[in-house]
Amino acid sequence: MSLTDLAQPNQGYSYAFLDAFAKRELRRRILKGIAIPGYQVPYASRELPIARGWGTGGLQVTLSLVGPDDTVKVIDQGADDSVNAANLRRFITRMSGAETTTDANAATIIQSRHRIPEEILGEHHALVLQVPNPEPLRRVEPDMAKARILHADADYGQMWLVLYEQLVRFGRYIQGAAYPVMVHERFVMAPSPIPRWDTPALHQSAHLTLLSAGREKRLYAVPPYTNVYPLEFTDVPFEVEDQREWACRTTGARNKFLNELPMDDGSSQFELSDTGYMEKLVNQQRGEPITVGTTYYDDEGNFYHDGYLKPRYNGERPSDA
Amino acid sequence: MAHPAYTQEEQLARATFLALMWSLSYPGRIYELPEGSNPLHVIADTLLDLETTFYTPDGELAHYLGRNNAREVAVERADYQFYPQLTNDLLVTVQQANIGTLLYPDQGATLIIGCSLDGDTSLSLSGPGIPPAQPNKIRVGGIPNAFWDLRDNANRYPRGWDVYLVDESRIIGLPRTTIITVGGE
Repeated sequence: MSLTDLAQPNQGYSYAFLDAFAKRELRRRILKGIAIPGYQVPYASRELPIARGWGTGGLQVTLSLVGPDDTVKVIDQGADDSVNAANLRRFITRMSGAETTTDANAATIIQSRHRIPEEILGEHHALVLQVPNPEPLRRVEPDMAKARILHADADYGQMWLVLYEQLVRFGRYIQGAAYPVMVHERFVMAPSPIPRWDTPALHQSAHLTLLSAGREKRLYAVPPYTNVYPLEFTDVPFEVEDQREWACRTTGARNKFLNELPMDDGSSQFELSDTGYMEKLVNQQRGEPITVGTTYYDDEGNFYHDGYLKPRYNGERPSDA
Repeated sequence: MAHPAYTQEEQLARATFLALMWSLSYPGRIYELPEGSNPLHVIADTLLDLETTFYTPDGELAHYLGRNNAREVAVERADYQFYPQLTNDLLVTVQQANIGTLLYPDQGATLIIGCSLDGDTSLSLSGPGIPPAQPNKIRVGGIPNAFWDLRDNANRYPRGWDVYLVDESRIIGLPRTTIITVGGE
């Protein structure tokens, strides 16, 4: 018999920290979010023992899903070991008794700050994305009430204008992260600041994506097998980050999302952004019996939904023929 | 450190919520509500509290739903509507259910309907949550066919009703995005 067996259950907090009242409200909102893909559902964001802006939106969604039978992975910009990710993970498991993992395919709930894992997520996995700014229209319409009217009318003309101005000024779309997408042919959505590389992973995915902004008190969802298309003009296709020449310095992996690491001599090295995936690759290369899941992009950089990403724009307008 | 107690109430509410969430995410697939409890009661306990409104034509059920401090209101104002059985007479009532506004489509009603999930009416489903390659078919009984026309007329996406079909502990979710063809191939 150990001391843990003798200890009373922790009665200082409700299970998973949130009280029943808060959880019911979040759960009602999550269901409405799933029913209306891409629509921002307002909710009462509760106080948590971390400051707003550090993942409280995602954390509240995770806490309303999690149970002792879950396995949780928390990612911060691809990494499992950053302070923010480690704190959130420790808090979730302390409040719920859930297992933790760094393996994306073993996790039932993945809370992520701004990355989707490289390996394809399966059915009944919940991907919870932390969102700083849920309103894709904010830069063209700072008034929230007016932005809501634009969403109601599906009036996205100004978004197209932003893209057009980028083309005129820079010759290409310059929006890096949080590239605006059209969900289920109705709502334009800000897919949290995931890099463009991850945006296609939301389209017709097997997993459920829940996005939540704690500071802004809105949550929204992309259900499985739902159309998600980046806004693009027919003659200038949306492109993911061009990292074709880059290779991971640790694993040699290519055509995965890589971080650029500046070196003292002014040169650059590259390393996989998804540390859970890198850990699996390294262990596999050491000869350990590890199954690495299929990835969204294969080693040649082809996306797993054929034809979703169009050929890269080479700067020439297609002829009118 | 031991985590806070995972009480019976928490377990029931979470298991029910997960069944609701996954059934809405993958429309047409059957999920299981917690065994051994009245399905409409556990759904009510999971979703209803003093911030919500409900409607049910069943007096006894209304008494139970009121326990959660949810307010019983007229059908056109109720967020959550419980129909242990949907008869032809009730169609006039269901028809008045709120579909939300364009500004706040999430105010559309949630209908929870008791029925049989092994009935004679075949429904073909398509839409989000259903892999395009495999059109989903379900079989229901105990729901007048006219209800599906009503739902079709009421749904003005993004406005509309979200429907759960409940047969004992089995549940199917039909969000407003699901396109339903009665007797389709």
